[in-house]
Amino acid sequence: MEILRVENISKVYGSKKSDKQYMALSDISFKINAGDFVGVMGASGSGKTTLLNILGSIDTPTTGSYFIDGKDITSFKKNQLAIHRIKNIGFIFQDYNLLETMTLKENIILPLALNGYGASEMEKRLNELSKNLGIEKILDKYPYEVSGGEMQRTAACRALITSPKIILADEPTGNLDSKSGKALLDLLTFINEHYQATILMVTHDVFAASYCKKILFIRDGEIYNELYAGDNKKQFYESIIDVMSVLGGEIR
Amino acid sequence: MNLTQIAARNIKQNFSKYVMYFFSLSFSVFTVFSFLALMYNESVLEAIVYDARYESLLGFFRIIILVFVMFFLISSNKSFIRARKKEISTYALFGMSNWKIGTLLFLETMLVGLVALLVGLGAGVFFSKLNAMFLLNLALDGVVDNIAFTLDPRAIYYTVLPFSVVFVLMGLSGLRVVSKFELVELFRAGKMAESRFEGSVLILLVSLLLIGTGYYIAWIPDVRVVSSQAISILLLVIVGTYLFFWQGLPKVLNIFKRHKGKYYIGENLISVSLFSHRMRSIGSLMATIAVLSAVAATAISTGFSLYRNITINAYNTVGFDMYFYGGQETIMPEIEAAFLSEGVQILDSFTTERYQTRPKFEPVIIDNIELLNSEQGYFRVYSESIYNKLIQISRTALEPVNIHEGKAMWMIQKGYRSSTEQLVSALIGKTLQFTDRDIEITSLEDSSILLFGALNSVLVLDDNDFAVLLEQGEITNTNPSGTPYDQVSVFRYERPLHARKLNNDLNKILTGRVSSYRIAYNNYIEALEIFGLVCFIGFFMSVVFILMTASLLYFKLIMAAEDEKRHYQMLRKIGLEQVVEKKVIRKRLFPVFVIPLLVGIIHSVFAMKTADTMVFTQMISAQNSYLIVLSSSAVMYVAYALVYGIFYYITRHQYTRIVRF
Repeated sequence: MEILRVENISKVYGSKKSDKQYMALSDISFKINAGDFVGVMGASGSGKTTLLNILGSIDTPTTGSYFIDGKDITSFKKNQLAIHRIKNIGFIFQDYNLLETMTLKENIILPLALNGYGASEMEKRLNELSKNLGIEKILDKYPYEVSGGEMQRTAACRALITSPKIILADEPTGNLDSKSGKALLDLLTFINEHYQATILMVTHDVFAASYCKKILFIRDGEIYNELYAGDNKKQFYESIIDVMSVLGGEIR
Repeated sequence: MNLTQIAARNIKQNFSKYVMYFFSLSFSVFTVFSFLALMYNESVLEAIVYDARYESLLGFFRIIILVFVMFFLISSNKSFIRARKKEISTYALFGMSNWKIGTLLFLETMLVGLVALLVGLGAGVFFSKLNAMFLLNLALDGVVDNIAFTLDPRAIYYTVLPFSVVFVLMGLSGLRVVSKFELVELFRAGKMAESRFEGSVLILLVSLLLIGTGYYIAWIPDVRVVSSQAISILLLVIVGTYLFFWQGLPKVLNIFKRHKGKYYIGENLISVSLFSHRMRSIGSLMATIAVLSAVAATAISTGFSLYRNITINAYNTVGFDMYFYGGQETIMPEIEAAFLSEGVQILDSFTTERYQTRPKFEPVIIDNIELLNSEQGYFRVYSESIYNKLIQISRTALEPVNIHEGKAMWMIQKGYRSSTEQLVSALIGKTLQFTDRDIEITSLEDSSILLFGALNSVLVLDDNDFAVLLEQGEITNTNPSGTPYDQVSVFRYERPLHARKLNNDLNKILTGRVSSYRIAYNNYIEALEIFGLVCFIGFFMSVVFILMTASLLYFKLIMAAEDEKRHYQMLRKIGLEQVVEKKVIRKRLFPVFVIPLLVGIIHSVFAMKTADTMVFTQMISAQNSYLIVLSSSAVMYVAYALVYGIFYYITRHQYTRIVRF
């Protein structure tokens, strides 16, 4: 089932009058089905974060539109967008974006609290999720009292708690050491398989990308290539490296 | 581009941040200058400072103002520099040496200080005549018609000198802050986590207990207790307040956090966690503000209540528009002539003997002190009809009475040391023994107006009883050697508190020629001078305290806004709507203003009770003087809340602007 459809999205930065216009995205179209785990790769400045911000409705496209669950999100008004963001989208950021004034538990339930859920419903969802993500014992700690990996798992938990239609992950492994990074990727795979969650992950880490089922490569604001994971993970990994070397992105 | 230019440019670009800072600096200058200008104003000097008591009061007040202004300047400067940490660190990153950054900050401070000094002085000069008029009108009810617009250079000198020193110190403190900064720390400044801070139930309870005990003592309607315990009350309440803000309030927030149904609502979750996170750094400030608010609110309410009750007070102490004893034969015609020539009509007057009596009775002992001794002391005594006639002429709220045969009313000096209950139980039902009859005390009144020289007690008898006792010689108007005492004459006339000229004439006629005299107008003027000054000082101090505490909160919150910006950015990413954001901001800022204000006002309500016990019960003859005091205090509380409200709106606006940027 199709969950996200992007139609001819372009994003131009800079004012229209000045000559210094910069095209971050040009005429991008693609589709994502429910339960997909899609990677978006590209060199720095290729426009991948812009794409993620647009899909997360943090930014708006200059032209084009996109549909989540068949609804044209570009036609939404500001407050509709905020509601849509809480209900349908889960974010996982590179720098976690946890509020240090709140305990992990409060951070996780924040989207539900903003959405007017009852306390018992919050507890129910939180219990189940935190157990699955292995953070149930540290829920009453503050972000500065736990490790980066634990913070990232908390962020993932927060992204999942609203049972969003789609999870957007922006370089989620970027701040983690390789062990924690791998743990997080395993976690994302688990989320993807166990909850049938649709995940769109922006990364330039080849290892991280190799966990995806499908990869979109972006170059100069356009989709350059697509890759599908086969049964052989090693082969998939090597083909990613091949594409990336053509794209000129750094390989890790 | 040299440093001075950069400094000037910074001021221009940080204008919005500078506006409040600048305003508060100028206001400090304005405050100090206005006060000094008043102290050196010739009319004020003439009118008020002739008395050493007032001069020392003003001097004391000058010190309070100076200390507070310095405290204010230093804390606002600290906040201001902190709010600019990022900017300072950027300079450092681009290779500016600490010394240069320090010099830059110093130059900026000097520039702002200089302009603030000029603006503050300018405003001070502009308003100085108004201030003087305001003070003199309060204090002297228009006695001084022409206020000299004198500008004593000493006022300027004594303003410029301390402020120059303070501004230099502030600039140097900027230097010090910069030299102590580590670059890393600067960039982490916002992210430095305040450690877990949950408060303590024990201390919360202790703080409430301390405040409660203070309140309890303050509420005791006994002059002796409250005046001897004044220091303990202050200590209890102040220590309690600080403990409450340091440990108690964080605990309250923590307890609130356990109520998930309420806490887990988006805006509550965000605002409460932000607030409780800051509790540690803002706790002391909030406590200080609560205490200062209490002081200011109490000062202004006391002044205002005193002022409002001057007229009533003048009558309560004197009782009549005028009375005198002795010398009636020669003086009466002169007085009548004076009234005639001023065109003031005497509405009523009455002359009567000053009778006394010494019945036998069981000693009345209250709290180990004998109220009246039947051997040495005597009662001033009136028959019912003379009493009613006197009361009718007087300006008090006393009612005519109807005394039955064998009964009597005991009037005791107003504000006698004991409580009403004690007096009632000690005096009502008491029997006074005369040679052929016993007279029972059946009613009690507290007023001093009919004493006319007696120690503390007045007796009002039935007309028949009075006539018989006078006949028998138990009521006399002569001293032991047989010469009669002077008669007393009381007067009631038109507009008694406005006839200044007449009053002067009367004073001239009466001075030195009668045994004793009192004119309500004299009392009134004296009260105006004292209370007007107290009221003015209360008012001045309150305005200073209110504005300065409110702007301290403003600076603290604006500083916090710079830190909290990131939170709002994050929150917006996970879907914080604008409507909810507004609610979050409101709930985040409102308690910071309202809690200290509320605590201050509640403290003041209890302080006013003490003030009532000590001062107002004796001044105001109404049944419940505290209610009257509270009603005039309420006016001031509302004014106080209004100013805070305005500051809350300015802060909210500015905070919103910063976090949205």
